Amino acid sequence: MKPTHPTDPPRFADQLLEWFCAPHLLEEIQGDLYERYKRDVGLVGAAQANRNYFLNVVRFFRPFALKRKASEYTSPILLSPVMLRNYLKTSLRNLAKYKASTLINLFGLTLGVTACLVIYLITHYELSYDTFHPDSNRIYRLVGESQHNKTAEKHPVGFTPNAVPAAIRQEITGIGTVAAFHNIESEVLIPNGSEKPIKFEHRRHGVDNAEIVVVDPTYFDIFTYKWLAGNPKTALNDPFKLVLSERKARKYFGNLPIDQIMGKELIYQDSVHVHVAGIVQDWNQPTDLTFTDFISLATVRTSQLKKGINLDQWEDIWSASQAFVKLPAGATLEQFTAQFQRFGKAHYPNEFKFVPALQPLADLHFDEDYQDNYSRKAHLPTLYGLMGVAVFILLIAAINFINLSTAQSAQRAKETGIRKVMGSSRASLIAQFLSETTFLTLMAVLISLLLVHPILSAFQSLTPKGLTFTLFSAQTGFFLLAVIVVTSLLSGLYPSFVLSSYVPALTLKGQAGLSIGRKATLRKTLIVFQFTISLVFIIGTLIVERQLGYMRNKELGFTSDAIVSVRPPWGDKGKVLAQRIRSLSGVERVAMEWFPPMGQAFMVTKLKYQGKKQAVDMDVSAKIGDENFIPLYQLRLLAGRNYVKSDSLREIVINAHYAKALGFRRFNDALNKLIEFDGKKYPIVGVVADFHEQSFHEKMGPVFMGYMPHARNLGIKLSTKGKQMSELKTTLASIEKEWKAVYPDNRFEYTFLDDSIAQLYEKEQKTSQLVNTATGIAILISCMGLFGLAMFTAEQRTKEIGVRKVLGASVASIVALLSTDFLKLVVIALVIASPIAWWAMNQWLNDFAYKVDIDWWIFALAGLLSVGIALFTVSFQSIKAALANPVKSLRSE
Amino acid sequence: MKRTYLGEFEEVVLLTVAVLHERAYGVAITDELDRQTGRSVSISAVHAALHRLEEKGMLTSHMGDATAERGGRRKRLFTVTMLGSRTLHDIRAMRDQLWNSIAPNALPAISL
Repeated sequence: MKPTHPTDPPRFADQLLEWFCAPHLLEEIQGDLYERYKRDVGLVGAAQANRNYFLNVVRFFRPFALKRKASEYTSPILLSPVMLRNYLKTSLRNLAKYKASTLINLFGLTLGVTACLVIYLITHYELSYDTFHPDSNRIYRLVGESQHNKTAEKHPVGFTPNAVPAAIRQEITGIGTVAAFHNIESEVLIPNGSEKPIKFEHRRHGVDNAEIVVVDPTYFDIFTYKWLAGNPKTALNDPFKLVLSERKARKYFGNLPIDQIMGKELIYQDSVHVHVAGIVQDWNQPTDLTFTDFISLATVRTSQLKKGINLDQWEDIWSASQAFVKLPAGATLEQFTAQFQRFGKAHYPNEFKFVPALQPLADLHFDEDYQDNYSRKAHLPTLYGLMGVAVFILLIAAINFINLSTAQSAQRAKETGIRKVMGSSRASLIAQFLSETTFLTLMAVLISLLLVHPILSAFQSLTPKGLTFTLFSAQTGFFLLAVIVVTSLLSGLYPSFVLSSYVPALTLKGQAGLSIGRKATLRKTLIVFQFTISLVFIIGTLIVERQLGYMRNKELGFTSDAIVSVRPPWGDKGKVLAQRIRSLSGVERVAMEWFPPMGQAFMVTKLKYQGKKQAVDMDVSAKIGDENFIPLYQLRLLAGRNYVKSDSLREIVINAHYAKALGFRRFNDALNKLIEFDGKKYPIVGVVADFHEQSFHEKMGPVFMGYMPHARNLGIKLSTKGKQMSELKTTLASIEKEWKAVYPDNRFEYTFLDDSIAQLYEKEQKTSQLVNTATGIAILISCMGLFGLAMFTAEQRTKEIGVRKVLGASVASIVALLSTDFLKLVVIALVIASPIAWWAMNQWLNDFAYKVDIDWWIFALAGLLSVGIALFTVSFQSIKAALANPVKSLRSE
Repeated sequence: MKRTYLGEFEEVVLLTVAVLHERAYGVAITDELDRQTGRSVSISAVHAALHRLEEKGMLTSHMGDATAERGGRRKRLFTVTMLGSRTLHDIRAMRDQLWNSIAPNALPAISL
């Protein structure tokens, strides 16, 4: 008996057919297949019929069945001006209708885009350092690895012994062009006929760029300048020649015509008379090579410069002595490795070892291993971190957009329905919603373009010096375009898919809205994501602040209060100045010193101690000062006494760390032991407690102290007892008067030790400011999103709240009802954010030798903070909703 | 002789449409082909041929009635056009002419 009940062919085969078959053929084909299927069921049974059906469907996978018929109607998708006008009108109406969410979105997107733009400008600026030179990928700096003796550590050094560059040019085959150069510090004198020469001061260390260099003529073969006067091939071939940059020439000679500047005489380091042989145009792109006064290297041997620069020196390395190399086209770094090794072996048979190496020019701005006197290093991880921050902030803003627009989609479902009924395709709906997003993003970008300038000037301390904003460069334009496209897609794609997916029959009956409003898994996930980011930032801020506070307040091992450092010029008159300042009333004590105990400058030397069993040979930091040094900085003596006044090194004091390293159990044991320095032996007379001499990134190491005659800087302790700031000022003024009396020609400069110690943490200060700003922005944007959502849910539930109130719910219970949902999300975010923040901050703290612990209460505090903020944000709306009169919400249906 | 080229399968399908007269649609044609020639062809092949013939102008079609066994879907009913008819006649005339030109006993005899 045949089965009487009608069976249907397999559903998936049907779907497959419906998917691939051209719509205008579908009816006849499917009808035929159904007919055949019915017959097959009767003939061979359902199972075989199913198989046949499927096979028949697959066989229709032919061109004629796939090809779609061209539509009879021209579809009004994107190009019709009428539809475009309609899109624009509805967009504007919608933006105007939902003012709150429009403002929130616009504000959030503007903040996000602005942050992105500012960060892009900063990172782009930093990354573009020294990339503009022709063949810059072939230019390298000659660096190396040095080792003081067999047991000492190998140090990467960004500089070379003076004799190395010339030898390399001779001995290394295929190296190309080598140009040695030396940074020098000097006043510049310009002879002025019979009158007193015009004087230009030293550069201020750490403030001004390094500008004076002694260079090989080949320097100009490696780096291309535009020559305004002089011959690049010959300008620096002879001694006593000088090339100036145009800006510097203008500084020295004012508006004198260029051909008259040529041949003018200038005096460097009081006695080196040189003549201008060329003038080059300044580079105007970012560069670390900020040199403007190029003295010919040939000058060195025939002038006083040879005192400072010994060109035959093989064993001493000094950061001023450097060299650049331009490899021939096609040369690789590998081909020199072996040669450099041989070079090192051949020239350094003794204790001191040096192996040359090449550092790409592009690394100069970033690699902190290779130090020098001129470049300003940028911290690559910080730059990448910044980029991450920019992305996250933009992401948070995009999430606001997604959340608010999907939440409101119910309201727009009717519009979608009507459009679909009128014949709009899904693609054109998506395009319409996307174009709305793009419109909003475009506005945000325009506003942020207006904001960039004020923001850059407000954050000047954070941005690199020399950063300029060129809006109309192709790259910036491209970046902005990318931001617009990515942001629009990111924030608009999902909502537009949701909105366009509504089935018109349902939305027009008013059924879609409810189901969409309640089911909000994605929205919740996104809120969790937002708050996770915000929480990571909050935790980061707390930890960075704590570490900074720790560095500010931790005992350094010496006092830095009211201590002023003054650096007199070369010469013997420093002692006179010290004596005069000592007699001033507001001054407690004056020490002659190299450098204060802690600061950027420090010097390490090799000391040897012949113990009973073995010799201890190690690098020890030298703190050189007169007998006032230890009392002035109140270094704590653990054993023995301070060294006595003398006119050369007689006795030394060491710190506890060094005493332990030498193997003394008790500090008293170290007293009167002899330490060998520079071939002579000196007795230890005292041991002081360890103190910090570098930033908290570095561990405290071995230190020795003693007096050497070239301790020429002054440390001045001002007496602060019962005094006001204004009185300190008068003391400083009287110090300046003494200075003027001793050095009438030199500018008086001083630094407070506290300030220069704070400068060690400049980078951390910047990091903290950045993290603070990012946190602020992230919290602000996510809270606005939350605010918008809360407003929306409260609105949606007005009826429910009305009914609850009528049935006796209290205001508090309603507020709680509306808030708990959001609070749950914040708690989840805290759980996710804590490990991420812990890991990231641990990485950051690992850079410090002395650091705070990451305590659990930080996470608790961050959680509490964000719960508080979220509650505060939501409460506005929930309290408003809870206080509303139920009569109003229930009156009309 | 100048005429539109017709493949062998197309010719057979076109003839079958004529055979079924007014009742020619995909499945019916497939079944009739099977019955008359013993050739088992797939529905899709027949549809493709019908599609091509219609493109060549030898067939016209209109939508017919829906039936329950087709799940309420209508059939597309095909009829031979003037051009189709002339083509079929041309082919037949050419064949006949060829047959008539064969000398007696030129073909090996076969017993039917």
